[in-house]
Amino acid sequence: MSVYFRSSGVFELGLAGILLVTILLICTTEGLNSDGQHLLELKNGLHDEFNHLQNWKSTDQTPCSWTGVNCTSDYEPVVWSLDLSSMNLSGTLSPSIGGLVNLRYFDLSYNEIKGDIPKEIGNCSLLQYFCLNDNQLSGEIPAELGKLSFLERLNICNNQISGSLPEELGRLSSLVEFVAYTNRLTGPLPRSIKNLKNLKTIRAGQNQISGSIPAEISGCRSLKLLGLAQNKIGGELPKELGDAWELNRIDFMGEPDLGFLKKLYLYRNGLNGTIPREIGNLSMATEIDFSENFLTGEIPTEFSKIKGLRLLYIFQNQLTGVIPNELSILRNMIKLDLSINYLTGPIPFGFQYLTEMVQLQLFGNSLSGGIPQGLGLYSKLWVVDFSDNNLTGRIPPHLCRHSNLILLNLDSNRLYGNIPTGVLNCQTLVQLRLVGNKFTGGFPSELCKLVNLSAIELNQNRFTGPVPPEIGNCRRLQRLHIANNYFTSELPKELGNLSQLVTFNASSNLLTGKIPPEVVNCKMLQRLDLSHNSFSDALPDELGTLLQLELLRLSENNLSGNIPLALGNLSHLTELQMGGNSFSGRIPPTLGLLSSLQIAMNLSYNNLTGSIPPELGNLNLLEFLLLNNNHLTGDIPKTFENLSSLLGCNFSYNDLTGSLPSVSLFQNMAISSFLGNKGLCGGPLGDCSGDPSSDPQKNTDAPRGRIITIVASVVGGVSLILIIVILYLMRRPTETASAIHEKENPYSESDIYFPLKDGFTFQDLVLATNNFHDSYAVGRGACGTVYKAVMRSGKTIAVKKLASDREGSGIENSFQAEILTLGKIRHRNIVKLYGFCYHEGSNLLLYEYMARGSLGELLHGPSYQGGDLVTWARHYVRDHSLTIGILDDRLDLEDQSTIAHMISVLKIALLCTSMSPLDRPSMREVVLMLIESNEREGNLTLSSTYDFPLKDDISRK
Amino acid sequence: MASCTAFHLLLLPFLLLTIQSPTNANLEGDALYALRRAVKDPGHVLQSWDPTLTDPCTWFHVTCDGDNRVTRLDLGNAKLSGSLVPELGKLVRLQYLELYMNELMGPVPKELGNLKSLVSLDLYLNNLTGTIPASLSKLSNLKFLRLNGNRLTGRIPRELTKLESLKILDVSNNDLCGTIPTSGSFSKFTEESFLNNSRLEGPELMGFVRYNAAGRCK
Repeated sequence: MSVYFRSSGVFELGLAGILLVTILLICTTEGLNSDGQHLLELKNGLHDEFNHLQNWKSTDQTPCSWTGVNCTSDYEPVVWSLDLSSMNLSGTLSPSIGGLVNLRYFDLSYNEIKGDIPKEIGNCSLLQYFCLNDNQLSGEIPAELGKLSFLERLNICNNQISGSLPEELGRLSSLVEFVAYTNRLTGPLPRSIKNLKNLKTIRAGQNQISGSIPAEISGCRSLKLLGLAQNKIGGELPKELGDAWELNRIDFMGEPDLGFLKKLYLYRNGLNGTIPREIGNLSMATEIDFSENFLTGEIPTEFSKIKGLRLLYIFQNQLTGVIPNELSILRNMIKLDLSINYLTGPIPFGFQYLTEMVQLQLFGNSLSGGIPQGLGLYSKLWVVDFSDNNLTGRIPPHLCRHSNLILLNLDSNRLYGNIPTGVLNCQTLVQLRLVGNKFTGGFPSELCKLVNLSAIELNQNRFTGPVPPEIGNCRRLQRLHIANNYFTSELPKELGNLSQLVTFNASSNLLTGKIPPEVVNCKMLQRLDLSHNSFSDALPDELGTLLQLELLRLSENNLSGNIPLALGNLSHLTELQMGGNSFSGRIPPTLGLLSSLQIAMNLSYNNLTGSIPPELGNLNLLEFLLLNNNHLTGDIPKTFENLSSLLGCNFSYNDLTGSLPSVSLFQNMAISSFLGNKGLCGGPLGDCSGDPSSDPQKNTDAPRGRIITIVASVVGGVSLILIIVILYLMRRPTETASAIHEKENPYSESDIYFPLKDGFTFQDLVLATNNFHDSYAVGRGACGTVYKAVMRSGKTIAVKKLASDREGSGIENSFQAEILTLGKIRHRNIVKLYGFCYHEGSNLLLYEYMARGSLGELLHGPSYQGGDLVTWARHYVRDHSLTIGILDDRLDLEDQSTIAHMISVLKIALLCTSMSPLDRPSMREVVLMLIESNEREGNLTLSSTYDFPLKDDISRK
Repeated sequence: MASCTAFHLLLLPFLLLTIQSPTNANLEGDALYALRRAVKDPGHVLQSWDPTLTDPCTWFHVTCDGDNRVTRLDLGNAKLSGSLVPELGKLVRLQYLELYMNELMGPVPKELGNLKSLVSLDLYLNNLTGTIPASLSKLSNLKFLRLNGNRLTGRIPRELTKLESLKILDVSNNDLCGTIPTSGSFSKFTEESFLNNSRLEGPELMGFVRYNAAGRCK
């Protein structure tokens, strides 16, 4: 305050005369008036990179000559206008702005201002025009803004302003325009909005405004534009949007409340309910956009009362019923989009007479009947999209009569006949999409005179005859899709003229002859699909020069010759399909350079010979590799261990030999992937004992035997698992399993593996078990003997020593198999594999130690209530049926769903331990039963397919 | 032997439920267009990305399913620079997000965790910074997660161990810190997945290293 007094006092003195020159000299720096001081403070908060404000100097007496500042021309000039827009200013807006009490016009738009809008703005009580748009302001709209009773225009769009719109906004009684789109505003629209009688424009789209549209909005009787698109507004459209007209006549005896509303944008919100009939009272509306909401019900015929309607977008809602014929009287309609709803019935006949219609989109409904044949006669149609309906009949002949049509999309209907000449000669046409109809005739060569055409999509029709040489004239063509038709003969060499072609799909036709070498001139090609035809002869070598190719499908043809080496140059290729041809020779090692190959490499069903190039192991993104049904020899390269992304592969029916790569992927692959080879072994094919090449016959027979072994294993195995599960459920219900943290150990041929930092050696194990002395043995199984070992750390583990006295390398295989399988499984009811140890022929598996002894004892030993567990359970069920009495009474019986689930699992377990193997369900059945039991959450009835053979079983016993 | 081979078969059953959702073709086009605006594209690979089309399925490097929903985005090795955009999280049917070997900068948007169909997230060999968003643990179908060769910092979110389908994890050659989780799906990854993160400490072992120890993560 003192500064204020002093400076203004000095100013007066300065005007008075020169008597106090010395004082003035001392005080010039403080000679600036208060507005100037506030502005300097404002400048201090800003960063003015380009020195736009360099003439804002404290040595001036008034700021009136400063850039962007305008003063009144009074005796004592005051700042009334401040225009700092587009000056690359950054920094923050200082609260000192509130000192400019005479400010009427303030524009700070198009800068990079950060921070909050200062609440002091409320002191600028004369402010009429306030623009902060296109900055990086954050924080909330200050409630003090409500004090600006003269404010007419408020623009804060394109900032990061958050919080809800303050109720105080309702006090801005002069407000005409409120623009706040693209911020982070939340909360509902304030109900006080009804007080804004002068408000003409609300634009608050692209925020997160929620709630519903308040009925009070009808109070905004001057409103012309309501833009609230792309918010989170839910609820129903208020009837008051329209029916205020009636109220208004009574209440205000003036104009209807929203009767002037011209533009209503509410797209991309969460609106639901029906569109109120009162919508028809918005008689002055020109544009209504309710698209991308959840509106239901029918399209109200009352839209037809809005005579001036030029744009009506209601696409992507859930509207039902027919398109009202009454819409045909909306003579001014330019753009109509009712797509992606559930509309039925025909396209109103009257639409063809709407002379202003430019854009008509009705796709993604269930419209039926024919397309009005006069469509296009009277209007300059530009975009017509009726795709994904059930329309029948023919394409209207005059769609392009006024030479304006750029897009015609009739995909997925039931249209038939030829493409009318009116369309074929449509010079403006850019995209023609007729996929999935019943169109007939030859390839429409007239299309190729259309200089603008970039897409021809004719897939899945009944077109016949050859693809004519004229196709070469379509110089702008980017997409040519003619798949699934009956095109015949050779492809014309003129295809090579299509220098802009990006995707070409001619699959599933009757095309013959050589693939024209000229196709390699289509240098932009990204997708080339010629599969399922009868192309013959060799591939053009230069195919490898189509460096943009991402997808190359040539499968199911009669192509022959070598696979061109140059294909390895296709560094963007994600999918290579060449199966089902007669390609011969070797697989080029260059295919290993296809570093983007991800979807598949399919070379199956050819006549390829030679060995598989190890370079293919570089394809580290590849998910599916199909080399089956060729004449490949040699082994599956060790480098294939690097195919880390592989999800599936097929090497079957070749002449391959040797062992599968030792990674789990190959070891666990279905056996069918390797069938029909000369001598593959390892993994599912069994051990590699002996010299496979010397006895191929034995090995080709091996798979069947293996399958039987596996099936048997599965049945036996599942019984064991289930019983473990049940034992835990029954006996140890309160024990919470601790999280599993062990790391699986990578397998290789060296000495010892155990989780890092806790590693101990073979010698430690020898010591802990007194060289595997019998006194340390706690159990014996088919695979070996289990010892209890107390390590020096005090940790007790179980060591399973695989029987080492057998012949051959079979043990190593079961050793590997067990590591690979158990190492992957982490389940609280399955014994944890800590690690494994391979030392000079001894194979040791290190497990969690289970103090309660072996499973066999529990099941069949006399330790359970005088008999073995299985027998006990069977007797119990025979005497009491399968009731909850069988469960340990220490269980928390309140959880009914768990109990029911346990009983149904027990039921499965009893099935699995049936005496007769025939009564035991297959693995698949068990899995199905488990799924079923999980789904039912305790419903005890298993489906009749799995009848319970318990009685028979016991009687047999 | 019998019991040994049978164990893993129990893990096979999966029930895949596909739920039909309303078409959001415009939304997906907008999301992709947001990406186009956020990147520099000197090779003009995104030239065909025209936001005025009804859906993005005709855009090049975009693959859609039968409902015109985007399933693949193949923009590996495409010389793109700039940043990823949170809008990508709206492509809920996206299975393959291939943006490897570009010059993308900035963070991995946490919104990518909304891509519930995602099978493969390949962002390797870019210049991405910031942390690995824990939200990626929501990607229950994710099989391939390759983030190697960036400048990612912070810990490896432990939540990622919940990714049961995860088959490949590569976060090597970054600047991650903390310890390597070993539980859940991480139990099958070797140290190779984590190489060349100088502040990353050895595999976490139950009871040995406290996961949340500050370590060299300060």
